[in-house]
Amino acid sequence: MDLALQLLFTGIGIGAVYALVALGFVLIFRATNVVNFAQGEFSMVAAYLMVVAVEAGLPYWAAFIVALLGMALLGVVFNLGVYYPLRHRTYLPVIIATIGASILLANSVLAIYGPQPQVLQGWFDTPGIQLGPVYLDSQYLLIIGVTICLVIFNFWFFEKTLLGKKLQATSQDKEMASLLGISVSTMIMITFIYSAVLGGLAGILVAPVLFVSIQMGSTIALKAFAATIIGGFGDVAGAIIGGLALGVIETFGAAYISVPYKDGFAFLVLIAFLIFRPQGIFGERVAEKA
Amino acid sequence: MRLTRRDFAAGIAAGVAAPYLIKSANAQGATIKIGMCAPVTGPAAESGGYAIKGAKLALEAVNKAGGILGKQGELIVEDDQTTNPGIVLAFSKLAAQSDIVGFLGSIRSTQVHAMAPDVIKLGKPVMIGGTDPNLTHMGNQWLFRCRPNDSYSGRVIAEYGVNTLGKKKWAVLHSTDAFGTAGGKALTAALEKLGAPSVLDQGYANQSQDFTPVVLAIKQSGADILGSYFTFENDLGIFARQLRQLGVNIPWVGSPSIVNITALKLAGPALYNTYGVADYAEDSSDGSKAFGKIYRDTVKVAPDNQSSWTFDAISVLAQAINKAGTTDPTKIREAILAIKKFPGAEGEYNFDQNGDGLHGYNIVKNDKGNIVFDKHIEFND
Repeated sequence: MDLALQLLFTGIGIGAVYALVALGFVLIFRATNVVNFAQGEFSMVAAYLMVVAVEAGLPYWAAFIVALLGMALLGVVFNLGVYYPLRHRTYLPVIIATIGASILLANSVLAIYGPQPQVLQGWFDTPGIQLGPVYLDSQYLLIIGVTICLVIFNFWFFEKTLLGKKLQATSQDKEMASLLGISVSTMIMITFIYSAVLGGLAGILVAPVLFVSIQMGSTIALKAFAATIIGGFGDVAGAIIGGLALGVIETFGAAYISVPYKDGFAFLVLIAFLIFRPQGIFGERVAEKA
Repeated sequence: MRLTRRDFAAGIAAGVAAPYLIKSANAQGATIKIGMCAPVTGPAAESGGYAIKGAKLALEAVNKAGGILGKQGELIVEDDQTTNPGIVLAFSKLAAQSDIVGFLGSIRSTQVHAMAPDVIKLGKPVMIGGTDPNLTHMGNQWLFRCRPNDSYSGRVIAEYGVNTLGKKKWAVLHSTDAFGTAGGKALTAALEKLGAPSVLDQGYANQSQDFTPVVLAIKQSGADILGSYFTFENDLGIFARQLRQLGVNIPWVGSPSIVNITALKLAGPALYNTYGVADYAEDSSDGSKAFGKIYRDTVKVAPDNQSSWTFDAISVLAQAINKAGTTDPTKIREAILAIKKFPGAEGEYNFDQNGDGLHGYNIVKNDKGNIVFDKHIEFND
């Protein structure tokens, strides 16, 4: 039982990271109908920005704000440089452009900062607390807390605010939104900014656990992408549940079946969903009428 | 001036012949080239940088001492991207340059396995740092190892843990790539010979983000000592921190990655009081001390095995070519195998007929971040 509780906590912690990155995937997919394969690199870039800001002598909280502002700027540049010029094309060139952008981001960071993995201290001085038989890593606690806050924020923002409703309207039907006076390009710009900040937040939060390296983004993004498919592509709640489920499944799978095949469990679940429920947990079945 | 048919023909002939003559002249007067596959990008890019620095330092020393066959040595580096396809591509690019006389391969066994078939096809000496024992025992006569292989590291880890630390209940943890699998096998075999079979033999996939299940398995196994073979420092860092967080404080004797600079930086205090088998230990010999001083003065970083093996690889290769007196691959091979009592940074080289230059390991301890030499264990069998 103690073992299961420890695994559950770790699984949820890892899953929350996948969920944060998956959220960025979903938001951009809903707004533009394309998958942004540079979402993982957003996490990596933010972690490096954080390291640079901390090394420059900024207090941790100030470095955090600077890194997120940097990510907002990256969201603007990404939208204008990668998505906007291709917005009238089919989804394929845009997806390829995002893959190209992810390679560019990774190699740019490599060229600027070098290949050395970096250590980023966590937000708290205490590494964790022992709660009975379970050790709670303070960084994972923070990640879980932030994920819960973001779920609540997203619900409030998209359901209760005018801007959130405009974003939803844009994602559902751009032409109709435009006819109603909503600036579609502005809404897409805001979506990219928000997604970049979300991805960045995930990177900054997970950096003290996984270290800061060029590869950190791609490793997380692959799982986050699987999480979005399991949850139902395009569904915010699905991304969160999918991410958490994936984290828990792979952690328990590793503990009770096989450690070396840990990644395999995540993708086995993904394949099972693609075969038996391709629309994911929360997705609606799409059928073509004859 | 009129251009006759004869003048025109002579001009064409000269034009066609000139590039070959120039190339030939260049080849005769040019440097002696050594190719190096190194991870400039990818997960091992940082240690790749150290490897290149080690090789360059050795070549500088060789050049100052008169060079190779009276010419200056030149290092040609290709990025292996820390991947198997990457090193195959990098090696093929280098192999296409016919004036390269010898090569440095990888410190990663899995990459050496990937490039090995092309090495046989090319038929030129390749110095390697990969420690999978099979690499020099699978009929490839062109691979020469400048680090002790894992049959020695496994025996040294087992012997130190059982006889010096007095521990009998072993958990063996290793990556599931060629290096980790071979290392894990060597350690478990050595433990069985010493009458202390492992209570847990646990593999893990490289680039794992979480080791909680592994740590809990070690905890549940009741092991009183841990032996490990980690390929990547990121994994080692994450594991070390989680091991300590989850309250496992048993003695830990690891393969060389446990004492390399990147691992020490990432894991910090989580690696304090651990032991490692180290092919390079600064205080283990005069050659090691000399290399340590040159490296610290030049690179301003503490030396480790990433740079020491490439330093030795260049030194050994240069000496062999000079002894052979020619760049003929077969003669160089014979000269490498004839090298005895060569004082390298990693220890004293005595090449056997398989192409293994070193036959023992140092045991070092992480004393609050400082790597302290304990003892050297050499095998003669």
